[in-house]
Amino acid sequence: MTRARSEDTRCYFFVLPAVIVIAAVAVYPMIPAVWISLRRVIVVFHEDHFVGLSNYAFLIHDPRFWTALGNTAYFVLVAVTIELLLGLGFALLLHTSFRGQKFFRVAILIPWAIPTVVSAKMWAWIWNPEYGLVSRLLPGSEMNWLGMPGYAMHAAILVDVWKTAPFVALLLLAGLETIPVDLYKAAIVDGASPLRIFFSITLPLLRPTIVVVLVFRTLDAFRVFDAVYVLTGGGPANTTETLSIYAYKMLMRAGDFGYGSTLAVVTFLCVMAISAIYIRLLGMPTRNIRI
Amino acid sequence: MKGAYLRTCCAPRSLRFFLRCVLVFSSRGGTRRPAPKKRGFSGSPLHAWLASLAVKYAPRAPRKKPRPRVARDGSQTRPVASALLVFIAVGVIEQGCTRASGSDDAGKIHIVFKHRPLVGNASVFRERLADFRRAHPEVELTTEVLPNVADITHQYYFTALAARSRDIDVFVADIIWIHEFSRAGFLRDLSSEFPPADIKRDFIEGAADAVIADGRTFAVPLYIDVGLLYYRTDLVPQPPRTYDELEAFAKTAKYKDPSLSGYVWQARQYEGLICNGFESIWGHGGVTTQGDRVTLDTPEARAGLDFLRGLIVHGTSPASVTSAMEEESRRVFEQGRAVFMRNWPYAWTEMQKEESPVRGKVGVAPLPTITGDPGFSALGGGELVINAAAPESHLAASIDLVRTLTSLDANIAFAIANGQPPPRKAAYEDERLKTQAPFIASLEPVVVRARPRPVTAYYNMISDVMESEFSAIVTGIRTTPVAFGRAQMAIDRITQ
Repeated sequence: MTRARSEDTRCYFFVLPAVIVIAAVAVYPMIPAVWISLRRVIVVFHEDHFVGLSNYAFLIHDPRFWTALGNTAYFVLVAVTIELLLGLGFALLLHTSFRGQKFFRVAILIPWAIPTVVSAKMWAWIWNPEYGLVSRLLPGSEMNWLGMPGYAMHAAILVDVWKTAPFVALLLLAGLETIPVDLYKAAIVDGASPLRIFFSITLPLLRPTIVVVLVFRTLDAFRVFDAVYVLTGGGPANTTETLSIYAYKMLMRAGDFGYGSTLAVVTFLCVMAISAIYIRLLGMPTRNIRI
Repeated sequence: MKGAYLRTCCAPRSLRFFLRCVLVFSSRGGTRRPAPKKRGFSGSPLHAWLASLAVKYAPRAPRKKPRPRVARDGSQTRPVASALLVFIAVGVIEQGCTRASGSDDAGKIHIVFKHRPLVGNASVFRERLADFRRAHPEVELTTEVLPNVADITHQYYFTALAARSRDIDVFVADIIWIHEFSRAGFLRDLSSEFPPADIKRDFIEGAADAVIADGRTFAVPLYIDVGLLYYRTDLVPQPPRTYDELEAFAKTAKYKDPSLSGYVWQARQYEGLICNGFESIWGHGGVTTQGDRVTLDTPEARAGLDFLRGLIVHGTSPASVTSAMEEESRRVFEQGRAVFMRNWPYAWTEMQKEESPVRGKVGVAPLPTITGDPGFSALGGGELVINAAAPESHLAASIDLVRTLTSLDANIAFAIANGQPPPRKAAYEDERLKTQAPFIASLEPVVVRARPRPVTAYYNMISDVMESEFSAIVTGIRTTPVAFGRAQMAIDRITQ
C-alpha cells in the first residue's frame, strides 16, 4: 500500500516540470488576455479603464463577429472534410507498392513544406484576373475570383486544402502502416471484395488515426489566419474574415486592445468547446492509439 | 498490433547536432582568437554581464561520465566557442540598435526622413533635398522609402512610434492620421514655428483643419489630393453635371461601342472606397459629421451608396470595379476602354504621356451631384510631421527641413514636377504654376470645395468599419439600411 502511494506521488513529481512549462507558456498569457478583455484599452490614447462585461455584451450584438464566426465555421467544415477525403485517397494510393513509390511519397509533401504565406501569395498570383494562370486557362469571361463574394472564400479553402491535404495523407499513411498485413491476407483468403476489406478492416483500424487528424486539422483550421489574410485580407466585404483576422484587425490595426482580446478569448473558448466535443464523441485519441 | 506513436523527439536531437557543428567549427584549428571588439559597446555593463553569462553557462565536459566526448582539440575550447556565439548574438543585436542610440558620426546630426515613393519627376524633390544638405553641412540626411500602401505604412508608423522609436525624425503622414497621431502624443507640437493662425491664413481650409488639433499645429501640408471626374472628350458632348447625365452619357457611348465600360471608380475594400463613398454621399446632399459625432445612417447617405450600387447593377460600371484601386481604374481608362473615371490628379500626368492612347482626348471636371452644382471631392494629401520622440538636438534641422519642403517655391516646384495640387493658396495665383502647370492651376475651384473625411482621432478605427460595410453595399451583400445600421452601431461604440 505505502509503496503504491509513494509511487503515486512520484508520478506527480515527474509530471510537474511539464505542468510548470505549460502553465508558464500557455496559461499565464491567457490570464492577462481575459483581464484585458474586461477593460477598454486603447494604448495610444492612454485609455485604460475597467468596463466589466460590456465588451462581451457588445460582442453578442456585433453582427461582424457572427459573420466572422460563420465564415470560420464554414471554412473549417468544408476544408477539413475535403482534406480528410483527399488525404485518405492519397494515403491509400501511396500505401500500395508501385515503382517510384518513395519519390511520390516525398513529392506529395512539397506543398506542406512551403511556408503558408508564400503559398498564399503564389495562389494570389494564380488567381489574378488580368495575368493569372486561371484566367489564362479558362478563356472567355474574365473571372475576378478573389473580388467576388462567395468565390473568394472557396479560393481560400482551396489554398488550405492544397497545403494541408499532404499532411493529412502523411498521418493517415503512418496509420495504414500499422495495420497488420495478416488481416488483409485472411480477408483475401475468405474472398472479401476490396470494398468490403476497406470498410471492415482499413477504416475501423484507421479510426484512431482519423480522430487525431480531425482534432489537429479542426483546431488548426479554426484559427486560420495567414492563408486567408495574405490571399484576400478578409475582403470582399469581410466575406472571408475569420475570427483570427477580426481579432488581428482590432488589436493591431485599430489598436483596440480591449475588444480585440475579447475576440481572442472567445476564439479560445470556441476551440476548447470543439476539443471537448471531439473527445466526448470519439474518445480520448491517445487512449485508443496506445495498445 | 503495434502502437502508432508519432515521434516528435527529433527536434531536440537535430538542435543538439546543429550546436555541436557550430561549436566544433568555431574552435577549429585550436587558435583562440580574441573576439572582435565592438566599438562603443564593449565597455558597457550589458556587455560585461553577457560575457560573464557566457563564461558561467558555457558547457563544460561532463564529469560523471567515464569517457567524455571531447572536441577535436580538447574540451577547453568550448567556453571560448560559446563566448564567440554570444559575441555574434551581441553583434547582431548591436547592429540593430546603433541607429536607435542616436550616435552621430564625426559630430554630424543624423536626420532620417521617411516618405512614400515619389510620383512624377522625382529629381525636383531630390534637388530640394540637395539644397537642404548644402545649407546644412552639419547634417547627414538619410531618406528612406516606405511601401506605397497607406494601410501598411500606417501600421509601420503606428507600431514604431508607439514604441517611442528614435529612428525617425521627419516623415510624411497621410492627412487622415494627423489627429490620431497627435492625440497619441506621437507628433511634436509645431505651433511656435508654424502658428495655427499662419497655417489658416496661408493654406487651403481643409488642409489647414487637418493639421490643427486643439488649436495647435502638428503638421505642415506638403501636397493635397482631390477626387476628379475624367471624361473622354471624343465620346461625350460635355462634362456631366448631374448623376443622371453621367448615366445617360455613358449609356449613349456604350450604345455606339458596346465594348466600352461606362464609369470606372474604386470599390475595393480599402480607404479609396471610403473616398468614393463620401463623395457620393456629399453629392446627394448628405452631411457626415454632426458636432463630434460621425453620422452615417442618414437618408442622403443611403441614397449616395444606393447610387453607387446602382451603377454596377445597371451596367454603367463593370463588376470589376469592386476589386479596383486607382491604378486598375487608370489602366482601363488610359487604354481607352472607359468613358468616365473618378481618380486623383496624378492620373492626368499619366494621360499626357507620349505613349498614352487617350492623349488629347481627355477632359477633367468636378464630380457630378444630384442638383447639378459642382461636386465635393474627398480631400487627401500628405503632411510633414516631426516625431515627438526624436532627439532634441535634431529639432532645429528637422524644422528647417519641413520649412524647405513646404515653402511656396517648393509647393510650386512639386506641383509642376509631380502633378499634385499645392496646399498653399498663394500657389494658385502664381504665374509659374499658371504657365507651366495650367491643369493644376485650373483645379483651384475643386480644391477649395474639397471636404475632409471625418476629422477625428478615431478615424482609423472608424474607417475599418466603413470599409467593410461600404464594400458589402457595393457588392450587393447587404442593403444600405442594414449596412449603415451595423456601421453606426460600431462607430458609436468606438467614439463613445
